[in-house]
Amino acid sequence: MTGKTEVSVTVNGRKRHAMVEPRMLLVDFLRHELGMTGTHIGCEHGVCGACTVLLDGRTARSCLHFAVAVDGAEIETVEGMAGRDQLHPIQEAFHQHHALQCGYCTAGFLMTTVELLKRDPDPDEADIRRALTNNVCRCTGYANIIKAVAAAAAAIRAQS
Amino acid sequence: MADNMRFIGQDVLRREDEYLLRGQGRFVDDLVVPTDTLHLGFVLSPHAHARIAAIDVAQAAALDGVVAVLTGDDIAEFVQPIVAEIEFPGYIRHGRDVVARDIVRFVGEAVAVAVCESAYVAQDAIELVDVDYEILPAAVRLETATDPGMPQVHAEIDNNLIFEGRFTTDGVDAAFAGAPHVLKERFRSGRVGGVPIEPRGCLAIPEHGDSLLFYSSTQVPHLLRTALAQYTGADESKIRVVVPEVGGGFGTKAQIYPEEFVTFALARHFRQPVKWMQDRREELLTDIHARDHLYEVEVAFDDDGVVQGLRAEIWTNGGAYSTLPFGCTLETTGGARMIVGPYRITEYAYVARAVATHTAPAGAYRGVAQPTCFMAIEGMMDRIARALKLDPAEVRLRNMVPTAELPWTNVVGVRYDTGSFVESLQRAMTMIDYSGFRTRQPADRLVDGKYRGIGICSFTEVSGTGAPGWRARGLVRMPGFDSGIVKVEPTGKVTAYVSHAHAGQGHYTTFAQVVADALGADLEDVNIIEGDTAATPYGTNTFASRSAVTGGGALLRAGDKVKQKIRRIAADMLEAAVEDVVVEGGRAYVAGVAQHGLSFKQVAETAYAMNNQSLPEGETFGLEDTDFYDPPLVTMANAVHIAQVAVDAADCRVEIERYVVVHDCGRIINPTIVDGQIQGGIAQGIGEALMEEMVYDDMGQFQNATLLDYLLPTSEDLPNFEIEHIESPSIDNVGGFKGVGEGGLIGAVPAVLNGVADALCDLGVNINRKPLKPSVILKLMREARERQT
Repeated sequence: MTGKTEVSVTVNGRKRHAMVEPRMLLVDFLRHELGMTGTHIGCEHGVCGACTVLLDGRTARSCLHFAVAVDGAEIETVEGMAGRDQLHPIQEAFHQHHALQCGYCTAGFLMTTVELLKRDPDPDEADIRRALTNNVCRCTGYANIIKAVAAAAAAIRAQS
Repeated sequence: MADNMRFIGQDVLRREDEYLLRGQGRFVDDLVVPTDTLHLGFVLSPHAHARIAAIDVAQAAALDGVVAVLTGDDIAEFVQPIVAEIEFPGYIRHGRDVVARDIVRFVGEAVAVAVCESAYVAQDAIELVDVDYEILPAAVRLETATDPGMPQVHAEIDNNLIFEGRFTTDGVDAAFAGAPHVLKERFRSGRVGGVPIEPRGCLAIPEHGDSLLFYSSTQVPHLLRTALAQYTGADESKIRVVVPEVGGGFGTKAQIYPEEFVTFALARHFRQPVKWMQDRREELLTDIHARDHLYEVEVAFDDDGVVQGLRAEIWTNGGAYSTLPFGCTLETTGGARMIVGPYRITEYAYVARAVATHTAPAGAYRGVAQPTCFMAIEGMMDRIARALKLDPAEVRLRNMVPTAELPWTNVVGVRYDTGSFVESLQRAMTMIDYSGFRTRQPADRLVDGKYRGIGICSFTEVSGTGAPGWRARGLVRMPGFDSGIVKVEPTGKVTAYVSHAHAGQGHYTTFAQVVADALGADLEDVNIIEGDTAATPYGTNTFASRSAVTGGGALLRAGDKVKQKIRRIAADMLEAAVEDVVVEGGRAYVAGVAQHGLSFKQVAETAYAMNNQSLPEGETFGLEDTDFYDPPLVTMANAVHIAQVAVDAADCRVEIERYVVVHDCGRIINPTIVDGQIQGGIAQGIGEALMEEMVYDDMGQFQNATLLDYLLPTSEDLPNFEIEHIESPSIDNVGGFKGVGEGGLIGAVPAVLNGVADALCDLGVNINRKPLKPSVILKLMREARERQT
């Protein structure tokens, strides 16, 4: 597996290029080629959601895509959320509501929440629970994540 | 104990959150590795029991990027067989080659390891290793593994009976003979695992010649370091174990695993960095499993439902090897010793057995034996109630040790110093409007297509086990203490080092609260360092609900020593009597004259000889101290969970409609973090009760090594949780803290099962097993219907 192919993507607004093996997974590309290790690997078979990123604006399992297959795409990851001095309102709500413990699955939940709140700025609890089935958390029991998502939605609505 | 608690008990927001939320947590696979790092891939046995006739590594070794392919015989040159250090009458020791030689004993056991230039090449290489197996019959099931003629897992363990322990009080037979009622039940618990979202992994980097920096996703850095030295012959003093962020532990990462020894040994051998990352299939196949238990329980009781005697025959499936460091008897002895719970049971006998089988090794998963033993005893409380037509809550209240009778030493010698068994149950019943539910609950329990029931679990939770507690369970080399160093730096800031290692519990926050109060410092001035054997003093580390009790206790003691030194130096500087100096808020001042005082920085400058003041006579330089804290046998927390469940009559799915908890973990350090622990535990408990199960077929083939097939609860499977607290601080330990890491899980399993049992009891359905998958409930309902027609 020596043949390498060029991949050009936009990650969090920055153009990135690299030569990769055709079989390299998008998640490994982000983590090991670009050094963006905020996106995590939990199962490598598309179930746990830890590797969730936004691919052209929609949530995607970065463990199920090859990097070469997303050439030209716009990718958003957890590293793109916060400002230098301020967390994104979703991140801030996760902090205020103790919505993370070990933090390993958290990036995936954040990206799922970004997509949810873009689609539905005022979700009720059932909507939030439905959207979050995208992701598995083994630490929190979800209750605080659900509260955080509702609080983030309210904060974002209040801003706009 | 801190005299003045400004921070202990407060809802301080977590310090860990910001870097984790920004994606800047550095988990083991996130660490930047040296460019010459070698990556490992393990070849796993596809058979439960087989003789390795031959291994051909030639094709794999010839692949570009493959440095070496090593078999068990090769690895045995570097790593001694590992042996769980249990000394117990009735226990048979055996060794484990960290890579199998000759015989494989479970699906997933490593038979060879490929050492490669990249993780991708390692996956290619292991596909090319050709292993010739002679397949042997396997002993898989707990129920049959000890039958005559079954294949033996280890030659030295006859009939696969690896441990048998017995206990009896003198009067138990008389109690049964004299009791008007006796009930017997058999409880079967399905096999589950911790399944942390971060799989395991480790990275070994040679440094300073023959020293080694070893990163591992572990809960036990100090025990790991000692074991690496012990089994590889390396100098312990030349090993530094560092625990990066850990993506969930749950006990799973409190074992010391073969891959850690192999990674360590190969970094020494090749004098190059070596990394290994587990994938999910390996995690499910090879991380410890738990809860494959069978309990036969017999209870004698009087006409009022008061228990007169208890007999338990406990069987646990230990799997193929006794794991490091707890061995395979932890679940066995745990259930036997904990089953009496909050109840006044004074006549008791048990036989507890651990069985070797050709399945993944059993180990310490959150709750250990307690979800099963409380499934059994709480199930019996409900059965007593049904037999006597009493309310199940009332039966529990009649049997509990009342608070006025504490301290109470239970029948196996465990002391309950403080607690709130009765009050917790009564409060939980009020929270869920228990009597209202019973009034509304119609006789046939079927409303809108659902059977509704309510399930109670009232339990004790073992935490903070000290050395005597481990000795009582045969773990002869397990320490019980943890330790801390509290240091005021020359600038007046405070660094505290603690022997623990977190996996999401929020130690940087909670230990800072403890240290700030112990020292009289400001919270923001305290920084916590842990998970690094080069920085922190030795300890037993982070499992079995230990941190608050053992780490908190050690930090309180070390902090108080430093505080006393601050008082002495400040008294000298202020020309006041030591007893008149108050230390609080990061200052030392003369009582009643707050302006007549010194900042920590001013005191520290004297301690570090950075001013023109001399130290008081007899004082040493520096402003730090160390202490070690070995708590009593155990510190016993308690709680009550009540679950209101609805079982859909059509599809047999169980919905948790309400879930209330009253928890008593003594003095609470951070209520939000405590609630988080409880909520996460309940989630795992509901998973264990309703959906999670590691399935082997009769040949010992693992059936569900993906997360599509091993079901973890998601956000639509779980309820909201209503949690209240009673605080009965421990009077036996230093801080009054009691552990809280496992209670959520322990209480949830029996509460959910009892709720389903309550919902379906009028149908003649007997709930005595888990998980209660819809298919299981459907079968039980059908069988009950057939019996009745």
